Amino acid sequence: MSDDKRAAIPHGLQEAGGLTDGIARQLSRESGVPEADIYGVGSFFHLLARPSAKIRVCTGLSCVMSGANEVLEAAKKAGLPCEATSCLAGCDLPPAVLRDRRVLPSVSIADVERTGGDWEQLDSSAIAPGEEWRGFVGPERTNPDELALDLLGPDDKSGKSFQRAVELGANGVIEAIESSGLQGRGGAGFPAHIKWRGVQGQSETKRYVVLNADEGEPGTFKDREVMLRRPYLMLEGLAIAAHAIGASEVYLYLRGEFEVPWGIVERAIADVTERGIYGDLQFHMHAGQGAYICGEETALLEALEGKRGMPRLKPPFPVEVGLWGKPTLIHNVETIACVPSIVARGGDWFRELGRAEAGTKLYCISGHVKQPGTYELPLGITLDELLEVAGGVIGKLKAFSPGGASSGFLPASKRDLPLDFKSLGSVGSMLGSSGVVVLNDTVDMKWAALEQLRFFEAESCGQCAPCRIGTRYLREATEDNLDHGAAGGTTARGLAHVADVAWQMNEGSICGLGQAAPLPLTSALQYFPEDFQS
Amino acid sequence: MTNSIGEIRDADVLFVIGSNTSEAHPIIAMEMKRAVKRGATLIVADPRAVWMTTIAEKHLQLKPGTDVWLLNAMAHVIIEEGLTDDAFIAENTEGFDAVRERVKSYTPEEAEKVTGIAADDIRFAARKYATTEKAGIYYTLGITEHTHGTDNVYALANLVLMTGHLGKPSSGMNPLRGQNNVQGANDAGATPVFYPGYQHVTDPEAQAKYEAAWGVELSPEPGLDLNVMMKEVGKSIFGLFVMGEDILLSEPNVKKLEEGMNRCEFLVLQDAFMNETARFADVIFPASVFAEKEGVFTNSERRVQRIRKAVEPPGQARADWEILTSLANACGADWSYSGADEIYDEIAKHAPSFAGISHARIDSEVHRGKTGIQWPCPTPEHPGTVYLHENGVMRGKGLFSAVDYRPSNELPDEEYGLFLSTGRTLYHYNCATQTRRESGLDEKQPENFIEIHPRDAKKRGISTDDRVEVSTRRGAVEVRAIVSRQVRPGCTWMPLHFAESRANLLTNDAGDAVTNTAEYKVCAAEVKRIAAKDSETPRFPGTYYSVTGPN
Amino acid sequence: MIQETQIRINGEKHSFRPGETILDVAGRAGVEIPTLCHDPRLKPAGACRTCLVEVEGQRKLLPACATPATTDMAVVSESERVDRHRKTLLALYATDHPSNREASERGAPDELLDMIENYRAPTDWGAMASVRANRHDDRNPYIHFEPDTCILCARCTRYCDEVEAVSAITLAGRGSETTISTVDGLSLLDTSCEMCGGCIDVCPTGAMGEKMPLTRGDKPERELEKVRSTCNFCGVGCQVDLNVDREADDGAGRIVKVTSPPTGTTTNDGNLCVKGRFAYDFVHHPDRLKVPLVRGADGEFYETSWEDALQKAAAGLQGVSERHGKNGLGFVSSSRCTVEENYLVQKLSRAVFGTNNVHQCAAT
Repeated sequence: MSDDKRAAIPHGLQEAGGLTDGIARQLSRESGVPEADIYGVGSFFHLLARPSAKIRVCTGLSCVMSGANEVLEAAKKAGLPCEATSCLAGCDLPPAVLRDRRVLPSVSIADVERTGGDWEQLDSSAIAPGEEWRGFVGPERTNPDELALDLLGPDDKSGKSFQRAVELGANGVIEAIESSGLQGRGGAGFPAHIKWRGVQGQSETKRYVVLNADEGEPGTFKDREVMLRRPYLMLEGLAIAAHAIGASEVYLYLRGEFEVPWGIVERAIADVTERGIYGDLQFHMHAGQGAYICGEETALLEALEGKRGMPRLKPPFPVEVGLWGKPTLIHNVETIACVPSIVARGGDWFRELGRAEAGTKLYCISGHVKQPGTYELPLGITLDELLEVAGGVIGKLKAFSPGGASSGFLPASKRDLPLDFKSLGSVGSMLGSSGVVVLNDTVDMKWAALEQLRFFEAESCGQCAPCRIGTRYLREATEDNLDHGAAGGTTARGLAHVADVAWQMNEGSICGLGQAAPLPLTSALQYFPEDFQS
Repeated sequence: MTNSIGEIRDADVLFVIGSNTSEAHPIIAMEMKRAVKRGATLIVADPRAVWMTTIAEKHLQLKPGTDVWLLNAMAHVIIEEGLTDDAFIAENTEGFDAVRERVKSYTPEEAEKVTGIAADDIRFAARKYATTEKAGIYYTLGITEHTHGTDNVYALANLVLMTGHLGKPSSGMNPLRGQNNVQGANDAGATPVFYPGYQHVTDPEAQAKYEAAWGVELSPEPGLDLNVMMKEVGKSIFGLFVMGEDILLSEPNVKKLEEGMNRCEFLVLQDAFMNETARFADVIFPASVFAEKEGVFTNSERRVQRIRKAVEPPGQARADWEILTSLANACGADWSYSGADEIYDEIAKHAPSFAGISHARIDSEVHRGKTGIQWPCPTPEHPGTVYLHENGVMRGKGLFSAVDYRPSNELPDEEYGLFLSTGRTLYHYNCATQTRRESGLDEKQPENFIEIHPRDAKKRGISTDDRVEVSTRRGAVEVRAIVSRQVRPGCTWMPLHFAESRANLLTNDAGDAVTNTAEYKVCAAEVKRIAAKDSETPRFPGTYYSVTGPN
Repeated sequence: MIQETQIRINGEKHSFRPGETILDVAGRAGVEIPTLCHDPRLKPAGACRTCLVEVEGQRKLLPACATPATTDMAVVSESERVDRHRKTLLALYATDHPSNREASERGAPDELLDMIENYRAPTDWGAMASVRANRHDDRNPYIHFEPDTCILCARCTRYCDEVEAVSAITLAGRGSETTISTVDGLSLLDTSCEMCGGCIDVCPTGAMGEKMPLTRGDKPERELEKVRSTCNFCGVGCQVDLNVDREADDGAGRIVKVTSPPTGTTTNDGNLCVKGRFAYDFVHHPDRLKVPLVRGADGEFYETSWEDALQKAAAGLQGVSERHGKNGLGFVSSSRCTVEENYLVQKLSRAVFGTNNVHQCAAT
């Protein structure tokens, strides 16, 4: 049985309409992949495991604050085959609802009631029929020369940055990346050039570039906008990376809910391939099947190989042992999209765009804010500066998440902290994917923490005990507190062991999910203890 | 086995021929699977798509009984392409020239016509085997249970010798023993030509040694082997002592044997269970099973290991060695053994290969991390022998034997249009006197079946789960049909475990010219549908896996 | 020149071979590091997290089972941090595991409960409800799965894939609802499972257990006596431990189950097949012959004494020998019996009856 056959399993299950009785056996006969393995894969991914749920309502924090639970209730009442789901990367247009594989923005109760119970009829009245939807992007395009991604600018299809990269040669490109100070924009902020050099230095000559477009961190939707608006910029970044590290194949892993971006990227790939502007470079697209954990790079590799998306032990890191065991360069969409302008304008130019750290950054902002959207701003602005361009807070600022659910919560008093990797790290939070969620003083932080804990429990892969048991433990403990107050309830444990559990999850978990999962609760307890006393 | 089981995991090429390893030797199969996972190349030659073919690099699906053609053609390729180990041949062997001449006409293209295996696949197997240092051959009864079984073994040995794949780790010639103590029974002298330790009965020195040891006169005349003995029952053999065997289930062409048994005058049976043979017995001794007595078994890799008494035998049943001692004494002998350890000491005293082995040593010593001692083990200080022929071939020079293909004794014809082979399944064991008393195994595989290719089934109007009658010139039995691509077109296969529909009523008792081993693996048969399936519930006899093959 | 390769564990130097993990070296050095998901036959998973240790220069604790030893690596396996890690991890495990030893150890011993005791982990963090799915209607005769005691170490699924290579079971679902399942939750009988029972052997908590002893209500494994023996089926010669209830059957003893000796100590390396592990019912089967039998003049069998049976057998065989000559007798020995017994049969044939007509059924 070849690697290809196993890799094709998730797609095969999707084509077959998801994991229903008998499908795994049938695919096994066709592929030679053991039937239990296929079942294990199908049952792992939400989109495959419960194929009958055609309507999925996002219950991420921003969507719930915009009435997602009420929309879900209405959908149930209307008889739609529906369920709650994790963040759909549509926090700027809440509540987001998934119809089969298509995200619909700003779905209202009226939209749901109009279906008459036929899920296929569900549409958002926020978008005109036939129109491709996009989110809001700011600030106004006053000076494109200070924008590395320039989402509102024209999407250059010429490939001239790639030509420049060919002139610079592999080392020239990597030197530019190094001097630019580019840090990974997927969450970890790891210096990009170290990965590039890492792959370049391997003795194995078969290498891969992998694009992580599995955007799922609650509060984050910037990669979606890059794909919707600048697909050619992203492909050019991938082509430059492949050229620099000596890869002939690029894998693009888009989350399965990105049906709209998928079509746009697919068309752009067809175009650049037909025009041959990147030589023989091959692009392969792979659809995620509903698993936040696959945004973790090694879980993503497992999923690409057609396995359950469970993170690998690190070391070894993907630069040494990546896709099918080969050296692999994995980057987030935004990181890759920074590359063409770095090559075209030079590393110094890029570095100077930021403040303490390099470059511009796509900040997502949602929640209690007047103009939610994606804003390209210098890396290191403060929340106040961001709020200013986004029209300000609705109501009185109480707390914010600077970088998705994994960053926990910060109180309003931290509003003048630079939103960069180092500053946020120093207060026990993180910039992460820079999905900023704003909460006003109507929000009970215990409730907000619980919503985030539910998310992590639903998305834990289940491989390692600290995360598998810990996420459930913390959610139950917080519910206990919510139901019975500080004294604890029927389980008589309340929040007494939260510190130990959080410590264990942080020390013991294999990957970042389990390590970060306690943060919403511990930070809420730290900054808003009064919310847990009621 | 010239190698040990533990060496399999380190092999780089495994050439498995005539062995359904995962069903007949599951634990050896695990070692092979481990080697394959590590990157070893597995080549399986078998008329049937046995489970191991699902992880094999190549499956050489030969027509039944054409092994010599395949093996000679492989030798042809190895010689033609200069892949022989000439230094090894010169130093350690004799008779190569005759083989070189003989295999000249066995070209892969001609072999393809006879065996049905593509010439390129034969070349692939030959090259891979010859050019890989750690390349081992593994075989079982698919090689030996033929009228030309000895030829098959010689042809295999030729490959081993011409490539020098001997006397090295993970590289040798490895027959996998079918029964727990086949090796040990032969070692102990339960053979018509050898005293214990392979000392020939015609050798005057050996005869003198045992005459002195046992204090009696001994016959220098070789005895009859089992196949001949069974044919002579009622002709020259009129009394039988049978211990732990159900000859009426296990021997080929049993109808003929039953006729002979009617003329047999006296039969003593010693067994733990009633069986088919008991119908002819005059006296039956209730014996014990392995868990009720002390002793040793010797496995395929010559490892002598202990069995220990865990529970008491039921009723008045006794350990076999106690019964044998009593019987000998009832016949006038004067045996006095206090235990199995003392019997072993007597074996070791007169057989140099085992001289260093004793129960006490096995109980107390661990060699290379494992218990048990592998013979040859000439002295109490010797650690045992992991693989044979380390310092050149054991009998002096390895002897090449030029062999020619001879067709099987009985081939399909107009009347009996199909090949029939028999064998074992994972879930039962031989006559199944033990495994069919195990409710779980019986649930997994409750009844006999025959595998038939879809093309042949269609011709005969047979569907899976239909009741069919399988007949040969010797008899007929009724079984359930499994339409399966595991068998080649024109071939059928059935297990031998089921007393109520005995495969050995069908099999051919024609014996190999040298060993007299019967041709259980090839005979001509016909299959006829007699009733439709009795239930819509599919049953899963045999191993469950999907096979793609010719339509 | 051979590079001197050494690693420090808790300050002491130990040499190592290339490819060895921290756990391998620690094991040889007698340094105790707890493990639950480790098995030497399997590729390291690092999933149970019990073996995490401090490695100098590394921010995170690393799994000893999966981390290769490297030159000059400094490992700390006993420290305040590691101790807190073990205690809090095991305390978490305890919230998701039955605490009642009697109930959870009806079959095999539970290594997790032992470990919780050994490391004095808190057990008062509360108990969570069970969420892992069972396969209630699995009608297979041998293998029982108890999801409540499962800790998802995946030894069973990895064994099924990496050693037995049939991949009949898998991790299914995800998060806290992850369980061990077959395809579509079918009975093992209807899958590629070959019933080797390796999943039972590798399970550290007894979540995978033997069905029959549980159904029969046999004594738990802790109370059984293990007798090392050799399997009586094929020619591989697997070593087995017969687990005997010494008091059963009025003191005759009864084999309750068969387990494999530890991996690395015998030819079978801790593995067994379906016959070796499960096919022992025949030993205590009611069909066993218990009394000597002789055929009467009417052709029926009659029970008799040993003395009588032996006399009649001796007379019968001697009679044939006198009437038809020494070679009128044939002795069929058995490759199922011991070396010693085969020796006695050929000695009986040769020394007592003077014929070499002795063989055994080696061909089937």
